[in-house]
Amino acid sequence: MSSVQSPPAASRPASGTRAEPSRRRPPQGFDRPRFLRIFTGIFFIVLFAPIGLVILFSFNSSRSLQDFEGFSLRWYEQFFESPSLRDSLIASVEIALVTMVVATVLGTLLAYGLVRARTRWSDAANVLMLVPLVTPEIVAGVSALLLFTQVGLELSITTIMLAHITFSISYVTVVVRARLAALGREVEDASMDLGATRWGTFRLVTLPALWPAVIASGLLVFALSFDDFVLSFFTTGESPQPLPVRIWTQIRFGVRPTINAIGTFMLVISTLSIGLALLLPRLLGRRESGLKMLLGREGA
Amino acid sequence: MNENRFASAFLIPGGLWLVALFAAPLIFLLALSFGYTDDLGEALYGWNPENYSRVFDADLLPVLVRSVGFALATVVLCLLIGYPVAYYIAIFGGRWKNVLLALVVLPFFVNYLVRTYAWIAMLGDDGLVNGLLGGDLRFLNTPYAVIGGLVYGFLAFMILPVYASLDRMDPSLIEAGKDLYGGPWQTFRNVTWPHTMQGVLAGSVLVFLPAVGDFVSASLLGGPDDVMVGNLIQQQFQASDNWPFGAALTVVMMAFLLIWMSLYLRSAAREAKEARA
Repeated sequence: MSSVQSPPAASRPASGTRAEPSRRRPPQGFDRPRFLRIFTGIFFIVLFAPIGLVILFSFNSSRSLQDFEGFSLRWYEQFFESPSLRDSLIASVEIALVTMVVATVLGTLLAYGLVRARTRWSDAANVLMLVPLVTPEIVAGVSALLLFTQVGLELSITTIMLAHITFSISYVTVVVRARLAALGREVEDASMDLGATRWGTFRLVTLPALWPAVIASGLLVFALSFDDFVLSFFTTGESPQPLPVRIWTQIRFGVRPTINAIGTFMLVISTLSIGLALLLPRLLGRRESGLKMLLGREGA
Repeated sequence: MNENRFASAFLIPGGLWLVALFAAPLIFLLALSFGYTDDLGEALYGWNPENYSRVFDADLLPVLVRSVGFALATVVLCLLIGYPVAYYIAIFGGRWKNVLLALVVLPFFVNYLVRTYAWIAMLGDDGLVNGLLGGDLRFLNTPYAVIGGLVYGFLAFMILPVYASLDRMDPSLIEAGKDLYGGPWQTFRNVTWPHTMQGVLAGSVLVFLPAVGDFVSASLLGGPDDVMVGNLIQQQFQASDNWPFGAALTVVMMAFLLIWMSLYLRSAAREAKEARA
């Protein structure tokens, strides 16, 4: 979809003919319902209020969740000075990094195969690839747990990684597939005409053009894996357990202010990786929407 | 090398991975759902269809009905809240469109547990709202709290597809509706709404599927009477340790959800075809 702005209303022909679609011109006056604006405003306030509260009270000097009694970093100190929480943080980061790398490689290869290979079951494969995305996590978690116990794999951070990778491949594939479909094959054809091999073309032409989508989907997978609770919950061993599993245990024991600090810290990490993914095309100097890329809606 | 053969090779690693770690475990799940437990509580494969008759037992039926009811309520609320927001962003967002959309998406990358916990902190008996109002509002441990948690958890899944279908729609259609003397409501009902049906359906399924299987919201925000099927499944694999029964519950849930999944996948396939054409 083009992001070209339509000219200002004044430069339109006054005859009332609608020669060009007025995509970007917001209806004026009566057509701009105040109700919708107020509704959307309230929506954003309610959406962010709980998160803002967690951030604010992570700096509270008292245990209270009602009164902010003064600025302090004691909950962060408690978080970082607890050896077991530190182990959990390291485990979470390790899991997310390994998941990111493996899922990005597998998902990218799969996307290329799905777009460029024309086999009898291409359509079926394209649809089947989506199934993990719409399978409730509890089903995924339970069946992964069954598999691991069946083949005698002891539950540990390795089993969590295996489960996370399985459910991240499809995200990468959706994002990269959209980019590849939007790319067209003319450049690849040109490269082949110039004598490059298929593999050379993939490595030197296709892959570089796919990089933004590959990196953005990798960052998306990192955030999803880092935040994931349900899959980890079913496939985790005794220790170290990833941070979300620790948060779960702590909430079950009652509200503890340390959770505010852990939550805020996790929020910063996932916001950074998603924010980076959203801004990626800009950072690379391209005029594209990172959001559209992440949603796999490029060229659609 | 033939291009088709070359590209097909790329399907192998990811395809094998998904077959081994996604498809095969589902078959284990199906097999174990007919299993039984020995005296030590060890799960064994076998032929024990009783697991399934237990799922539809009179005392568990309310849990199944409640799960579907909560999920449906979540879908309706997500639509009522999400549609106007998506509409505002798509039609009136102007150059802030992408920023607003990013603002919708970002909170959903805050850990679901932390977001649920934030609600506890806000609405709990000694939470902020009660502190501000000085009252003793009881919100936690009610069905409303569970549904509220689900809505807060999955709202983005509704807003994004609805937004996408609104964004695809040519706004001059709305103007045409008005030129034909349609009032705002008539124009919406006869022009906008039918045009965004695909997005509404996709969003509804994308919210419904995770909501039915959720156990976090009911565990943390609900009381003992708000148990959902996800909680039952989780208990079977943890505290009560009856894996075959847990597997049967999971299979029943998955079979029910497959109907809705196939609806969504079919429309996704159609969309992919249209995009390619």
